[in-house]
Amino acid sequence: MLTKRQNLMETIKGGKPDRFVNQYEFMNLIMEAPLGEMAGPGQTIKNGWGITFSWPADQLGGFPVHDEEHKVLKDITDWKNQVKAPAVATSDEAWAAAVAHANAVDRNEEFVAAFVAPGVFEMTHHLMSMEDALMALYEEPEDMHDLIDYLVDYELAYAKELINRIHPDCIFHHDDWGSQRSSFVSPEMFEEFFLPAYKKIYGFYKANGVELIVHHSDSYGVNLVPFMIEMGIDIWQGVMTTNNVPELIEKYGKQMTFMGAIDSGVVDFPGWTPEIVAEYTKKACEECGKLYFIPNLTQGLNFSSFPGVYEETTKVIDQLSKEMF
Amino acid sequence: MSKIQEVKEKVEIGKTKLVPGLVQEALDEGNAPGEILQAMVESMSVVGEKFSSGEIFVPEMLIAAKAMSKGVDVLRPLMAGDTSASLGTCIIGTVAGDLHDIGKNLVSMMIESAGFTMVDLGVDVPAEKFVEAVKENENVTLVACSGLLTTTMPALKEAVETIKASGLDVKVIVGGAPVTPEYAAEIGADGFAPDAGSAAVKAKELVA
Repeated sequence: MLTKRQNLMETIKGGKPDRFVNQYEFMNLIMEAPLGEMAGPGQTIKNGWGITFSWPADQLGGFPVHDEEHKVLKDITDWKNQVKAPAVATSDEAWAAAVAHANAVDRNEEFVAAFVAPGVFEMTHHLMSMEDALMALYEEPEDMHDLIDYLVDYELAYAKELINRIHPDCIFHHDDWGSQRSSFVSPEMFEEFFLPAYKKIYGFYKANGVELIVHHSDSYGVNLVPFMIEMGIDIWQGVMTTNNVPELIEKYGKQMTFMGAIDSGVVDFPGWTPEIVAEYTKKACEECGKLYFIPNLTQGLNFSSFPGVYEETTKVIDQLSKEMF
Repeated sequence: MSKIQEVKEKVEIGKTKLVPGLVQEALDEGNAPGEILQAMVESMSVVGEKFSSGEIFVPEMLIAAKAMSKGVDVLRPLMAGDTSASLGTCIIGTVAGDLHDIGKNLVSMMIESAGFTMVDLGVDVPAEKFVEAVKENENVTLVACSGLLTTTMPALKEAVETIKASGLDVKVIVGGAPVTPEYAAEIGADGFAPDAGSAAVKAKELVA
């Protein structure tokens, strides 16, 4: 039997996996790295960039607060005065827990996977609101290029420390680039603003020993796939069924693997049942096949919003591996 | 090319800095404010169609709506009290328990561009608040309810049922990622739209 790591590599290289890669099993996620403050359920926090996040207890996630009082960047043309990156944590103490966790991972079995979020696009709209960020791409492109360069420099500074500290084999990087029906920006705009940014970021990780780039965007993104491949993504996690995943695998599988195809929205809700999970998981596995595909909820971490859904999905995938391999 | 035609074209491609001047020039040429407004509404209708078909994306739609808004600013003082071009007031909000506002804001912008006066109740709006807003505002013809989460679909149902049970003469349109035409019909909504462009088309259709 292959290790989780070997089985993953066989799957994404078009080799001979002996079972489905089961959701996030190949990533041992190091969540202890000093990535910055994030709001938990019921909390309102202000992070190092000055962005206020609120996560009401009865909601499924947190939101940046963008009223006039809380918006960090009120005028893109004045971003140099209004946006101040926090210092990257460089003390042994700040990294101790992450280092200890990484050291405890058997790298033959799993990938030491560093979690990085939010992404560059998300940072632009966290700072200034989605509407302002998207319009600024049109109205003040030079300032947006400069702001994005600044965000990339910060990411690279963090990446350098991350690499030195835990030597990750895998980066699990979030940046949501679309809704379930379309990408937020046109391919042309994506190519101009975000492709260069991610070529720098993912190129830096790859040049420094990272074997695997897994990018999360639980959205539509067919029109961005060529750019995802160009920037060095190995696995697109969160791929929704609106993308026609079997077709994507057929067309691009040899260059990038697709992880998802079980839309969280349709299986992960208060009234979920094992039958619903089984139906959609079976459909995903049967339609997408054994290579260049990892069955997974589209959620961007290794759990579900409602207790039991993630575990049930894992169970169904195990069963399907027995039947299909 | 006539000035009105130029206004139409520049709104469609989101020339926010040019549109106000062109609207003024169109007025100086003797065009009626209502006629210029109608031209911009038609531009936004094209923008909505292009967004729905995937030809353009959110930034293009936002920038076109902003261009129109700047054009309307020039017309507004000349049209005070003239309601002939208005399709009435639309109350919009994201339903109780749901804090998503981006999709709702886009829909609001596009419905406004179609000729409605918008009253935005924001997010996490209880069902009763939609009803109160209909009563408190003048000439309300439409209520637009948004819900992005599968978990808030019951709140969407409650909102529609409460509005309908109030007996007020308004149409209700619903939308949001998990909403389907079947679900919209099941909960008693008058209309459904899958995106902001289609929402503007459907809104006009509902109050025609």
